[in-house]
Amino acid sequence: MRRVALAVGLVALYALPLAGPSEYWMTIAATACAFAVLSQGLNLVYGYGGLMSLAQVTFWGLGGYTSALLAKDLGWNPWATLPVAGAVAALAGVGVGYASLRLSRHSFAIVSLVAALLVQLVARDWQGLTRGPLGIPGLPALRIGAVVFDSATRFYWPMLTFALVALAVMWRVMRSRIGLMLLAIRQNEPLAGSHGIDALAHRLLAIGLSAVLSGIAGGMFVFLLTIVDPSILDFYYTESMLIMVIIGGPGSFWGVTLAAVAFTVVPELLRLTSELRMVLYGVVLVGAMIGLPAGIGGLIARRREKQWRARLA
Amino acid sequence: MTLLRVERLGKAYLGVKAVDDVSFTVGPGEIAGLIGPNGSGKSTTIDCLSAFQRADAGRWHLGDVELTGRAPHAIARLGLTRTFQAIRCYETLSLVENLLCATEARRAVGWRDAFFATARLRAHDRSARARAAELLDLVGLARYADAPAGILSYGQRKLLALAGALMTEPKLILLDEPVAGVNPTMIRTIERAIARINAAGIALLIVEHNVEFIMALCSRVIVLDAGRLLAEGPPAIIREDPRVLEAYMGGAPEEAEAGLRA
Repeated sequence: MRRVALAVGLVALYALPLAGPSEYWMTIAATACAFAVLSQGLNLVYGYGGLMSLAQVTFWGLGGYTSALLAKDLGWNPWATLPVAGAVAALAGVGVGYASLRLSRHSFAIVSLVAALLVQLVARDWQGLTRGPLGIPGLPALRIGAVVFDSATRFYWPMLTFALVALAVMWRVMRSRIGLMLLAIRQNEPLAGSHGIDALAHRLLAIGLSAVLSGIAGGMFVFLLTIVDPSILDFYYTESMLIMVIIGGPGSFWGVTLAAVAFTVVPELLRLTSELRMVLYGVVLVGAMIGLPAGIGGLIARRREKQWRARLA
Repeated sequence: MTLLRVERLGKAYLGVKAVDDVSFTVGPGEIAGLIGPNGSGKSTTIDCLSAFQRADAGRWHLGDVELTGRAPHAIARLGLTRTFQAIRCYETLSLVENLLCATEARRAVGWRDAFFATARLRAHDRSARARAAELLDLVGLARYADAPAGILSYGQRKLLALAGALMTEPKLILLDEPVAGVNPTMIRTIERAIARINAAGIALLIVEHNVEFIMALCSRVIVLDAGRLLAEGPPAIIREDPRVLEAYMGGAPEEAEAGLRA
């Protein structure tokens, strides 16, 4: 039953462009794929690893800039730039993690914020490298042989494929012994230590994996935009990722996946209030934190406890 | 023949010496007690030995392996684990999952095994689940095996902590106040569980305020006072030692003796 649902879902996802939506909606669909990877990466780091990362969008931006520079300045094939984009993002992620986690998990949040601001600064002000606010235009499109993914409708297929692979990898990690160890570390780090669990190694793995996948997603995405500029690093996106994970429920794979799609599409419907979007998002975030402090996952955990109490009573 | 050898351990907070030049040993298979008045450095000693606090001075070995300067998880992997005074468990995980986490001390499976669910992982998983069921039976929590640990009572969580410590297959367990705040019936249950753990050849070092509990279980008692080693010996000798009575009650040997016997 589950397999059938999954197969039907996959066919529907791949067939989406054939239904003939506009370029505008296909851009949103491709964005939703990319954001699903980013928010799920944040879910792995925050929902499982217990680390608040404010640099998820930074990893995606680093990947975007790396791919753009390699393709534009060194003339690399766009595909060949993607592994490097992932590696640069991973290096940044593991660097931030290693430097800050030796102190505490709270210092990780602060150092990730500093890293995010720093990368924004470099993107805007190091004109020799990044061309500053004007960005790097005129990027080539991804292509396989004669097939050029130069429209959102065509680009959607490789983006969707990568997103599915990335989500499958993260799903596997979350459901495996590694995910269990991460949950244990998040719930009680000292106890995990006394049980022989290496918290630093597991957290660096989560951060590194999340950064690699976000970096590659960013690298791919700039070839749809054909330009990369500092707006790719905007805090609006950071806020969006946080909302997707917190509303979707930290630690809940499907909740976050659905929230990623919903919170990519809904703001587009709210275009009329583009100035108010940030404010609305802020209100939603604060509301969620008050109403569902442990997210939807916390609600489910509490219900499970209640059922067990009733059964054992 | 010693299992744990602690040499000249020291730890100070802002110049106040919480543990000062303390040396002692624990033998293989022994149950040793670590007692002393409030603030005498018992918990600090345990925290330093298990690396939850950084010792300022001293060295300690488990068998031939030096533990000084290692991280908590590394020490657990070498065979020394601990329980905590404040009860700790992974609340949303089931009891079996709680215990599965503790197998990480044995490093039986790596990330690659975990990710690809290799034959090795599945074999390890089966044996670990069987062992977890055994241990839950030992501490009397078998019927909660698949329930989230969050539903357990205070005393039950202490029992789960014991089972978790055993799951790491330790040579020595440091118990930090295993019966503090526990009702008398549960104290008996915990006492029996500790005796059974020890019967399996595992050594224990117990920090506890409940002197009766210590005297009943331990073959040797180590007494700290104001961070220094005050006395060491069999319970019967320790309870008569005038220095110990003095430290506990600040003089008045008769009252102190009554206190220790109570």
